[in-house]
Amino acid sequence: MALQLENLRHDANSCIRCSMCKFVDMVWTQSARFARQCPINVRYKFNLYSAPGLMACARAIMDGHLEFTPKLLDALYKCTLCGACDVRCKRNLDPEILSVIEALKARAVESGKGPLPEHTKIAENIAKNNNRYGLPHESRLKWITNDIKPSKKADILFFVGCAASYAHHEIARSTAKILMHSKTDFMVSREESCCGYLLYATGQVDAFKKQAERNIDMVSKSGATTILLSCAEGYKTWKVDYPKVLGKETANMPYKVIHIVEHMDQEVKKGSLKFNKSIPLKITYHDPCNLGRLSEPWLVWEGTHERYGVTNPPKTFRRDGHAGVYEQPRDILKSIPGIELLEMPRARDNAWCCGAGAGVDAAFPEFASWTASERLEEVISIGAEAIVTSCPACKDMFQKAVQSCGIKLKVYDITEIINEVLS
Amino acid sequence: MSIPKEAYKALENIVGPEWISDDPAARIADHKGGYATGVVDDRTIPPGICIQPGSGEEVQQITKVANRYKLPFIPTSTFFTSMCAPTVQDVIMMDLKRMDKLEINERDQYVIVEPGVSYSMLQSELLKRGLLTFVPTCGAQASVLANHVHCGDAPFGWRMGLGYRRVLATEWVLPNGEMLKLGSRSYLKEYFWGEGPGPDLKALLRGNEGHEGGLGTITKMAVKIFSFVPGKFTPKGIQPKTTLLLPEERLKWFNCSLPSREKAVDFMYELGRCEIGLMVSTIPPLFRYVARCRGLGPGEFWKRWKEYGENPDREAIDVRVMIIGWTSEKQLEYEEKVLKAVVEEYGGKMSAAPARDESNFLSADAVCSWFIGGRFLSEVYFESLDCGLHTEKDIRRISKLRTPPLADTWDTPMLWAAYEFGHNAKQEYLNYVDDSEVEALRAHEQACRENDIKIGASAIMESTKMFGPYWHNYDKRMEELKAIFDPNNLSNPPKPIERPLFDEQGRTL
Repeated sequence: MALQLENLRHDANSCIRCSMCKFVDMVWTQSARFARQCPINVRYKFNLYSAPGLMACARAIMDGHLEFTPKLLDALYKCTLCGACDVRCKRNLDPEILSVIEALKARAVESGKGPLPEHTKIAENIAKNNNRYGLPHESRLKWITNDIKPSKKADILFFVGCAASYAHHEIARSTAKILMHSKTDFMVSREESCCGYLLYATGQVDAFKKQAERNIDMVSKSGATTILLSCAEGYKTWKVDYPKVLGKETANMPYKVIHIVEHMDQEVKKGSLKFNKSIPLKITYHDPCNLGRLSEPWLVWEGTHERYGVTNPPKTFRRDGHAGVYEQPRDILKSIPGIELLEMPRARDNAWCCGAGAGVDAAFPEFASWTASERLEEVISIGAEAIVTSCPACKDMFQKAVQSCGIKLKVYDITEIINEVLS
Repeated sequence: MSIPKEAYKALENIVGPEWISDDPAARIADHKGGYATGVVDDRTIPPGICIQPGSGEEVQQITKVANRYKLPFIPTSTFFTSMCAPTVQDVIMMDLKRMDKLEINERDQYVIVEPGVSYSMLQSELLKRGLLTFVPTCGAQASVLANHVHCGDAPFGWRMGLGYRRVLATEWVLPNGEMLKLGSRSYLKEYFWGEGPGPDLKALLRGNEGHEGGLGTITKMAVKIFSFVPGKFTPKGIQPKTTLLLPEERLKWFNCSLPSREKAVDFMYELGRCEIGLMVSTIPPLFRYVARCRGLGPGEFWKRWKEYGENPDREAIDVRVMIIGWTSEKQLEYEEKVLKAVVEEYGGKMSAAPARDESNFLSADAVCSWFIGGRFLSEVYFESLDCGLHTEKDIRRISKLRTPPLADTWDTPMLWAAYEFGHNAKQEYLNYVDDSEVEALRAHEQACRENDIKIGASAIMESTKMFGPYWHNYDKRMEELKAIFDPNNLSNPPKPIERPLFDEQGRTL
């Protein structure tokens, strides 16, 4: 229901093309260079490559005035679903514009025009091997070294995700070691399968729903009550997208979702994690979209818009952004001796996307790389020596961009820094 | 009719294949839009081509191709107003966002901007340097250049004047593709001066509505900026609850409650005579309720607005004043003392408001006027404050006749944003009509037209706009200029003046 385009007609109609969604929240604008926030709009400029353009196309598709053209598919699938437009729009207005874009992708798939071949390949990999890369399922727990001892049974299930399981072992290992250091009992599952984020973000809703049901069933059988993640994409998928496609609210799901930064923050404040080692480094923190502005719990609303768009029954508006995980990683990093935390001009709910989201890095590597390099310019502008994030996808994008740009900059996942000061 | 392939090829040769498209989706994304969505854009159609020039020279070449093939063109940037939505076939939509160069001259206090520079881009750079421009209430996403050649009004106009008075040297691609350089650019490489030599055509860029792309394309402009107070402007919060904390030692807000509209006008005139303040404006209850309900949804707004209307005790009129210690903290103390004395003299009460801002330095929230739903109606007038008293009476009388279908504004005051120390003012009347009642409004519009009721620059009741003697024959002069500058009628036709069209039954087309 939540991804049916027709159910979002009021939202698509509500766009007044004020163009606020293309800019960072005005009161937070720090410079002309970093005043804009929509990657596709900054790069391609045409109004089609922006939320207002996609709203206009959504209306035209619903009214039968437009088919999915190559240019529309290009704009739609280059959108990283970073949600900056949605947060910005809801600064003043109410439309669920991100949901409209997601539903437009779902409609593209229904019409047989989407997803793109690279995304179909990912779906095939997931169906065959339970991971986006198409690597053997049996290798999923290969990241576990002898010094890592997950429990057989625990309340907390560490859902490692494809990226940390296959491509970024250092993040999975650091996460596990931090949990062990804070004496947090956790387990992992051999049955773990891709969370399905890329299926959702490319409009492959049916396949995504199957992944959701399969993973929820896995958790149910494991006896865990809490899912802990070190991946922002997975975090948002479990917390927001699973309930969304299953017609439930986050609060009513049979599990609780927590990101490792939330866990670490609690442990630091409790005194279970103490950092005695000093790291003399000027760093900046990159807010992953899916951990920050997109992680607000999902609320179900079904009803009608009546006179003046008044919702019946009354709707509690989700204000993507204000419930995001912003301060916890900053508090953790600031508590490390030697570290100087610098803020980028576009931070927290105004953060610029890394470029990896929604399968853009798979289908449009050049554009994704440009998006990441834009962020690195921002890092350099404030004199930071390292960028720290809390998502394997962001780390991956920044590492590749650092290499291709040939710049001297360290890239860390936050778990690596913490593990470093604990060891 | 469609755009000839040779024309497309000629345009593509100018900007390169990346910056041109005739894909239906790109064209649909570039048609309807703006604050009167669904009302005045009923008859807009998608353009034939979307193109993005990267320089003034490219704009010239595109304009020449348009003339060669007799294709209409529309220059645009942020597209918040519907004035740049195409209403004729085969329009070349010339989006100027790629042109976003910004050059600040701190010593001579002016800035050179291209059309893609927004107010947020400019103001954020200026505040870092102890400088200031104003920001229009439509939002800091607006193009600095486009706003300066449109009404150019903003709350700080009380102290800083209207935008079009600050236009300096300008580069203007005429509808035939020739580049016209105004002011100091006409004979120097410098941008510091706006007038002459010879006949000063800068006046053509000024006015209530500007020429709206009807007389060519402004590609570069220098505008005056001001030195500003030292002190820190601190952003705070996560959206939607963000605000800018002001340096309290230099800026203070006061809400001044006056007993009547007449007293409020006299009070504002007196503040102007005393030459204090950075901003002086009435705050209509409707605006206040919109701001208070932002984030709570339209249901909450309409509930509270009804409660307000049913409360008989609502006679006072609020004037919001920002005072400033422009030169020193002592000046702030002086302005506060003067304000207190003037408030007392006019029988008012004043109370300090928190030293924060969301609407004026880096405007963020005026767009919330749309969250309460329905179709948005705004009527704007520029005239003197005391003339505004009469206008407001007329508007209240007419709007009563139109309620319903218009929402009930409970006879509350309009916005009076006083400018230039009270020498002129913008009056703005806001109202809403539900989607289902647009036709009822049209019927009323028809009745107004038949009874020769003129209501000015309405964004919704087009056929009641003032023309001819009602508008000092301004429209006739503009039509003459259009014929001289744009004989082929290609530059955003039929702008700058659009007379309403009627069908055989006399209905507005």
